[in-house]
Amino acid sequence: MSAAAHSVDDARGRTPREIDKAGYVLVAFFAIPFFLFNIMPVLFGFYVAFTRWSIVGSPKWEGLRNFTRAFNDQWVAVAFKNILLYGLIIVPCVTVLGLLFALFVNKRYPLSGLARTLFFAPTVVSATVIGLVWVWLLDTQFGLVNHYLSFFGIDNIPWLTSTRWSLVGVSIASVWWDLGLAFVLFLAALQDIPGEINDAAIVDGANRWQRFRYVILPHLRPVISMVVTLQLISTLRIFSQVYVMTNGGPASSSSSPIHYIYSMAIVRNLFGYASAIAILLFALILAITFAQRFLLKERV
Amino acid sequence: MPQWLERELEERRLNRLDLLIWPVGLAVATLWALPFVWMVSTSFKFPADVMTQDIEWLPSRVTFDNYIKVFEYPVVRWGINSLIQATLATFFCVLFGAMAGYALARMHFPGRNLLFVIFLASLMIPVEVSVIPLLLAFVKVGWASSYQALILPAIGNVFSVYIFRQFFLTFPAELEDAAKMDGAGPFNLFFRIALPLARAPAIAASVIIFTLNWNSFLWPLLVTFDESMKTLPVGVAAFTPVVGTRTQIEGYSVAMAAVTILSIPSLLLFCFLQRYFIQGISQGSIKQ
Amino acid sequence: MSVRTTLNGTSALNRRGLLKTAGAAAALLAAPRLATRRASAGNPIEIVHWSWLAASDGEIWARMIADFNEAHKDKGVQIKMEVVPEEQYVTKVLAAVATGKAPDFGWGTAGKGAQLARDEVVIPLDDLVAKAGLDIADFSASSIAASRYPKYDNKMFMIPMDLMSLQPEINLDHVKEAGLDAANPPADGATLLEWAKAMTKRDGDKVTRSGIMMTGSGVQPTVTWGIVAEQMGFKRASDDLKTACVNPEAGKQAMQWVLDLFDKHKVSTRDVTDRYKAFGTGQGSIFWTGPWTLNGYVGQKLPFKTALFPKIGDKHVTYFEGGGLELYQQSDTGRYEATMQAVKWLSDNSFLWTTVGRGASPRKSILERPDYKTTGNSWDVRGAFVDGMDFASVGEIPVVNGPNFTIYSGGNFLAKTLEGVWSGQTSIDAAMTQIQTQWQADLDEG
Repeated sequence: MSAAAHSVDDARGRTPREIDKAGYVLVAFFAIPFFLFNIMPVLFGFYVAFTRWSIVGSPKWEGLRNFTRAFNDQWVAVAFKNILLYGLIIVPCVTVLGLLFALFVNKRYPLSGLARTLFFAPTVVSATVIGLVWVWLLDTQFGLVNHYLSFFGIDNIPWLTSTRWSLVGVSIASVWWDLGLAFVLFLAALQDIPGEINDAAIVDGANRWQRFRYVILPHLRPVISMVVTLQLISTLRIFSQVYVMTNGGPASSSSSPIHYIYSMAIVRNLFGYASAIAILLFALILAITFAQRFLLKERV
Repeated sequence: MPQWLERELEERRLNRLDLLIWPVGLAVATLWALPFVWMVSTSFKFPADVMTQDIEWLPSRVTFDNYIKVFEYPVVRWGINSLIQATLATFFCVLFGAMAGYALARMHFPGRNLLFVIFLASLMIPVEVSVIPLLLAFVKVGWASSYQALILPAIGNVFSVYIFRQFFLTFPAELEDAAKMDGAGPFNLFFRIALPLARAPAIAASVIIFTLNWNSFLWPLLVTFDESMKTLPVGVAAFTPVVGTRTQIEGYSVAMAAVTILSIPSLLLFCFLQRYFIQGISQGSIKQ
Repeated sequence: MSVRTTLNGTSALNRRGLLKTAGAAAALLAAPRLATRRASAGNPIEIVHWSWLAASDGEIWARMIADFNEAHKDKGVQIKMEVVPEEQYVTKVLAAVATGKAPDFGWGTAGKGAQLARDEVVIPLDDLVAKAGLDIADFSASSIAASRYPKYDNKMFMIPMDLMSLQPEINLDHVKEAGLDAANPPADGATLLEWAKAMTKRDGDKVTRSGIMMTGSGVQPTVTWGIVAEQMGFKRASDDLKTACVNPEAGKQAMQWVLDLFDKHKVSTRDVTDRYKAFGTGQGSIFWTGPWTLNGYVGQKLPFKTALFPKIGDKHVTYFEGGGLELYQQSDTGRYEATMQAVKWLSDNSFLWTTVGRGASPRKSILERPDYKTTGNSWDVRGAFVDGMDFASVGEIPVVNGPNFTIYSGGNFLAKTLEGVWSGQTSIDAAMTQIQTQWQADLDEG
């Protein structure tokens, strides 16, 4: 830690040093494609948000019209309300389950290596897989999930076909898909806890809960805050699983801002309008990130 | 409690309560894997055995027809496209990311911190905004539906810069100093000394970025204009009930065969290089 | 109104100017073309065709293109076909046109391309048709009318290739099981419900097999409402495209009719994810759908026949969809004639497409051929889609915001608004008010 801190100070250039011109060259190889293909289109998108544009012809300046339209569009409101719900379901589930799974795998149980593989594996598959496998699992009449729920006397739940459940259905698949990242972050942090501290706590007669509460949890605090932030940002941008599982329906009940942006841009070719909604989403992500950092007083 | 069990528990630093937790945890882990099992199992079923009221975990009759049907589509071509796209994009992203990460961590030049902040802030931008302007640009220069279009936008993945910067921040300065003493220039220093020692972050970044590229969906969906340039996730997406049109005739068993084919490379890569995945993610995010 | 027209006129002019500049700029770029390889002396012309047909009809279309190429082997013209996913089709065409690299021709839907016509992405065809000698008199009058845009000089922007309608496909196993007479399918609303009730299977109060195939959201309830509403006297837009929602009461009545299928008569379940698959696996008995499903169901040996859409209201109508070929703006206008010649050949030789492929032929000469009824799938499953064209008239509203009016859509404004009704979240009155407000604004926009 101290070595790292030292080099950070060093790198900040507290001590006057020569300018390494070669640094620019080394950075350029990455920075040029990054600015060309990742930043420029975004800047253009920001400009388009203030115009009316359907690709053919040049964008026509319209000032804030797209924004006022977005504020009056009930489907925009629904999409933004939905991501807050997604956030409320997915973020706590991913954080709590990820932590529990990591605590389990961190113990020296037989087969814990296998468990680690299984918990992380979903993260590496593509959205297409989610779209097919989970739509099939959550099928109302022939899906596996409803089949096993019926053993508990639970009636068939229309996971993806009703306005009441579709958001929950998509969330379940999302938790399965996203959990690996949180799990690995927690696991790495747990493995960083020096064994002696835990051993000392055992010797002191601390029980499992006390050890978790007073030894492990304080150590994990920064990681928890990071997991929550990362998962929240990724949930605010939820798209692929929505697109492949429900396409936002029924009645927009599982849509998300990015899904709505996609359908306005690609399906309706209203690029100015789509970009304006994207800016609203960006503002929301920014606000939430700052609010969270302020509340948790953590440097992420 | 038998002696051997006591000893075993002692050795593994477990206690009696763990005897209860262990099976529960394993059961949950199994539950977590069930979607994959179901996917593979369905892919070997006859279409008539798919929509049944009884659940058959192991198909009573096995068929390879579904896979044969999938291969009637240009799956091999899609797979090759995906491989080319993911490999080249990952290679350039990791190499350039290492160079940038090294410069940002070890070199001193005005604007360095600003650059890093821009790199990080870009993570918050909904990239979907940029997709249409980017598409137009590629069509304009005649690169739509080409490997350039699939690869170039994937090079600027900030994750790789980040992970290398973290690594090089803790890089022992003595090594550099010794090489500088011998009169090595900054490029020599990077390529001869720093890069060879950065094997661990390089592999970690590679596996993670490769997986991201292999699975990338929206951009390839838009920029490929003909079947022969599709990547595997885009091609297979046509089998999904919501997006595609093909399940109408083919049914779930063929679709499951298609996604099994799609998942195998990334799952294999993950199984063999698991250590690096985990290292990469934790290094890339925790060590501040 | 006159101000609006003038405004539209000028903006169209500006766009034209811009397009020309863009085209010229593109021509200057030496970069390789996106697919379009210009003909140079001695080399054959390669006409680039984009299609979004992906299901079994796509295979037949590929055969049509192969036939063309075979017939023109020595004539210096070849068609290169590329399949583009339907959802991104228009975006990709726009991107290609904006950069001067458009395909020569592609598939369009009658009435859906008002925006493309306004921006001159698709080009008016009247002059080219005359020059190529395509016999317009041989086309059914309605198919030609549907290819025109009244707001854009009433020009033709598409050559009709097939005519499609929604007609009920009926599972014959279920008919037999219920002891009904397959030779006399339901012709009115009351009989339809009788049949549906006789074939529905329930588990207690829950429908496990729908008498009338429905989904809780998406295309099926939306299009059903659209058809039934028009039958009951509702009109989405007045004929002059000025007033939205003529006779809204009929529209509300039709919403109730759809709701009753689920909740009152209990002949349909909302719990179906994929209606095509569900009907294919016998989860539904009567399923109104289009001719594009035929090859799939016949291929999987589903026992079914197709009947004419019953007359539920006062007007006997059903959904209409016209498929056709449109030409995209080129920087090299010399290509239009060769492309039109190719389109003419495809239309003249569309016997295969309109028998084995999909839909009914818009060409009188093809319909009159004695073998028209005997080629392809059996007349039992195919006939209703040909005969039923007589009363298929609920098509697209040809305005720029036309997509908001489409009744055959799973996620547009209309579908989303109605989904609120099907799920009980929105009242029928509220939904109709929302629809009326939005559509009126859309019509006003032009």
